[in-house]
Amino acid sequence: MSTNNGNGADAPNRFIGKSVKRVEDKRFTTGHGRYTDDIVLPHQTYAAFVRSQYAHAKIVSVNITTAKAMPGVVAIYTGAHVAEVNGVPCGWQVNFKNGTPMKEPKHPLLVTDKARHVGDAIAIVIARSKEEAEDAAQAVEVKYEELPCEIDAFKAAQPGAPLVHDDVPNNICYDWALGNPIDEVNAAMNSASHVTTLEFVNQRLIPNAIEPRCYNASYDRIHDHYTLYTSSQNPHVIRLLMCAFVLGIPEHKVRVVSPDVGGGFGSKIFHYTEEALLTWCSKHIGRPVKWTAERSESFLTDAHGRDHITKAEMGFDNDGKIVALRVKTYANLGAYLSTFGSCVPSYLHGTLMQGLYTTPKINIDVTAVFTHTTAVDAYRGAGRPEATYVLERLMDLAAHEMKVDPVELRFKNFIPPFDGVTQPGYQTQVALQYDSGNYHGVLEKGLQMLGYDDFRKAQKEAAHNGKLLGVGFSTYIEACGIAPSSVVGSLGARAGLFEFGQVRVQPTGKVTVFTGSHSHGQGHETTFAQVVADKLGISMDDVHIVHGDTGKIGFGMGTYGSRSLAVGGTAIVKSIEKIIEKGKKIAAHLLEASADDIDFANGNFTVKGTDKSIPFANIALTAYVPHKYPDDLEPGLDFSSFYDPANFTYPFGCHIAVVEVDKETGKVTLKRFIAVDDVGNIINPMIVEGQIHGGVAQGIGQALFEGAEYDNNGQLTNASYMDYCMPRADDFPMYETATQITPCPHNPLGVKGAGEAGAIGSTPAVVNAVLDALWSGGHEVKDIRMPLTSERVWRAMQN
Amino acid sequence: MELTGRHKVNATPSTLWNMLMDTDTLSKIVPGISKLEKTGDNSYKSILEIKIGPVGGSFKGDLQMENIEEQKGFTLKVQQNSSVGNANAAIKIELIPVTIEETEVAFDGEVKVTGLLASMGQRILGSAANVITKQFFTNLDHELAKQQATS
Repeated sequence: MSTNNGNGADAPNRFIGKSVKRVEDKRFTTGHGRYTDDIVLPHQTYAAFVRSQYAHAKIVSVNITTAKAMPGVVAIYTGAHVAEVNGVPCGWQVNFKNGTPMKEPKHPLLVTDKARHVGDAIAIVIARSKEEAEDAAQAVEVKYEELPCEIDAFKAAQPGAPLVHDDVPNNICYDWALGNPIDEVNAAMNSASHVTTLEFVNQRLIPNAIEPRCYNASYDRIHDHYTLYTSSQNPHVIRLLMCAFVLGIPEHKVRVVSPDVGGGFGSKIFHYTEEALLTWCSKHIGRPVKWTAERSESFLTDAHGRDHITKAEMGFDNDGKIVALRVKTYANLGAYLSTFGSCVPSYLHGTLMQGLYTTPKINIDVTAVFTHTTAVDAYRGAGRPEATYVLERLMDLAAHEMKVDPVELRFKNFIPPFDGVTQPGYQTQVALQYDSGNYHGVLEKGLQMLGYDDFRKAQKEAAHNGKLLGVGFSTYIEACGIAPSSVVGSLGARAGLFEFGQVRVQPTGKVTVFTGSHSHGQGHETTFAQVVADKLGISMDDVHIVHGDTGKIGFGMGTYGSRSLAVGGTAIVKSIEKIIEKGKKIAAHLLEASADDIDFANGNFTVKGTDKSIPFANIALTAYVPHKYPDDLEPGLDFSSFYDPANFTYPFGCHIAVVEVDKETGKVTLKRFIAVDDVGNIINPMIVEGQIHGGVAQGIGQALFEGAEYDNNGQLTNASYMDYCMPRADDFPMYETATQITPCPHNPLGVKGAGEAGAIGSTPAVVNAVLDALWSGGHEVKDIRMPLTSERVWRAMQN
Repeated sequence: MELTGRHKVNATPSTLWNMLMDTDTLSKIVPGISKLEKTGDNSYKSILEIKIGPVGGSFKGDLQMENIEEQKGFTLKVQQNSSVGNANAAIKIELIPVTIEETEVAFDGEVKVTGLLASMGQRILGSAANVITKQFFTNLDHELAKQQATS
């Protein structure tokens, strides 16, 4: 891949489509990143939390007398102190099938009556140092009365299960369905000549951002103004939720800053209780207060991901065409509704049940359940990996049951190619309209890279020699570029999901871009600068990207759902168009021509068909030193835009895993991993490939290594890196990646989003490959529970 | 976590019973005890120093004997608190005569742990329990030998 450090030749698209090295990496790789924990304010204090040791317990008493007298202690607050403060809100209302709103029990800043999961916050201790705060927190005496608990979503929804919230019957937050009427789906299923049924668990995962959650809140009494530094993916959203819903502070009195953030994967979207509580405390103690999660605290209190119990059935006709899909899922929400906890198992999951297939009848039914566990919310992919897992596991299993090739079965059922321009988008049975797609293309490319025919021969030979080789396929689609406000608003979203972008041309022609997107690993400072530099015909060095500060950026919805480039990038492009339009008027005045006759290319405004031309920087200077200037034009060159997308974007792809399973030990070795992704147009291939690599690692992590393990008492038993198995570099082969480009028809960059694809497509490919290996050895196994540890695979082979 | 153990000793039930009922002896037998104080007929306050894998700490709490059947057995209720988590256990202890000179000590119970002990120590709690159990019986043999030597 060619690289370009920003000093390249002056030609169109000098940067777009090139693997420009990331400008932010210099500070990250030399230890000069500035994270929230690096920020120390005058008179800084530090907080530690007293957290519940029990999954479900009545709080009989909290005695802070000893702790309060300990050295350095500034203040201690318990649930009683904040009983009048609102809890943190949920951002998305989902309704029961009968139309009544979901159950939304209070998610308090500190609990008063009872603790509902291990790690639930009971008290906050603030001291001069972190160590003093932690010592004093250990001296807070909590008397508990332990109550029975339930960690399993299905069991928690049964009559008689211990209640997480006394006012939520059967712990059910909502039941919900999407797709065709169930009678029609049942009828189609009954007509099928073959039905493949699969029951499985999509296990709970811990997000594990390398930077733990960290907040630093301060209050300026003179100006009655708050500043909150927060390790968040979306500072404006945090400000909105915290001000309007929790603390009742006007937004103009609060600045929220998210400086460098060390990974999020979804877990830093949400408005956490600690953010609001620290902000509240900063005013009460009159000093800034900071809290950084311990790693074991992160395991217990960062919102977790996935945790579905699912039964899925797919019906086929004689010809192998899918005639119906019926899915029933119990989704574990944890003890409280996190910010987007409600929409992940419903609107981000059910809406993807069409997959890449022409399935005519689909019904997905979800029961969302409270349990005595940490809250569950969006984690890289958020609902879409769960949907992909349902469909792609069913496809490979169905092919095996019907004794047909899994690849042929897919080709037979794929939606035919459509570009979304000359051909219309594809209307699914589950509420979405796909924008553009060429699903055959990615699978064909993947098969070529694999050498499919040769592989099947090698597999036969291996089986003959007593070795278990397997291949697994996953052809996925996702809904990204989240999200068109009118669509999500009608589905219950309580905020619009547009984006803001401001382009400020300085008098010297240098450009500052203010974006509402937030980079926490994605490389926006590079990708966005590539777009701006090309569109304005200037050097990348002359573009500075500003993000993550409500005090600088007009508005923003942040980064999640693979939305930054498709939505945030488009807002910037719209502002650039306004800059160019105004620049043409200025140039027309200077060149004594009509604005309609001015062309802008390669950084020069030129009168069409002449050599009369003015460079961009001169126009910028004229805008700020308007001695010779059109009468009807304002000085300055600075434009903002809000962009609300017309539709989601729909990246798709084909992931193929090749594994070898050790017959004696059940150990799975991943031999090859092929990823062909179509994320629309690509601005920086290196960054896209990096995103795919990271996502694939997390997806394989789910398949083979990771999983939160609760015991029956509701204790999270693997809340450390000694106990929770994170994938490591030597667990992976070098990925074989490729891209196909089907542009998005409804945004000017033609981009679809690449942040989550790897985590969405990869998991079922690996599990399918292990099962295929077992099948090649004659082991008729339908499912192995993830993660596929050696023990589980070995046990599956013994049956 | 399940806590079970069986061990044959060369002593009569009555000798063993007297040892188990004696605060001094008991504090020498139970591994990790740094302080044992009788607070009632069948109850004690204790401080235990225990290290399980990466998690270690000083546990304070109560030991209570219930369902006492003279020379046959009792249930030991344990409620220990520490900064690394709480431990809660009910352990049934039985003295079973084997021959005139031999008795089997058997115990069977469940331990529930919370906090760091549960989230970081649980993986090795089983093997830690085996070590503690072994230590308990070793100490018991040792004390018995000492007593038999002096008597």
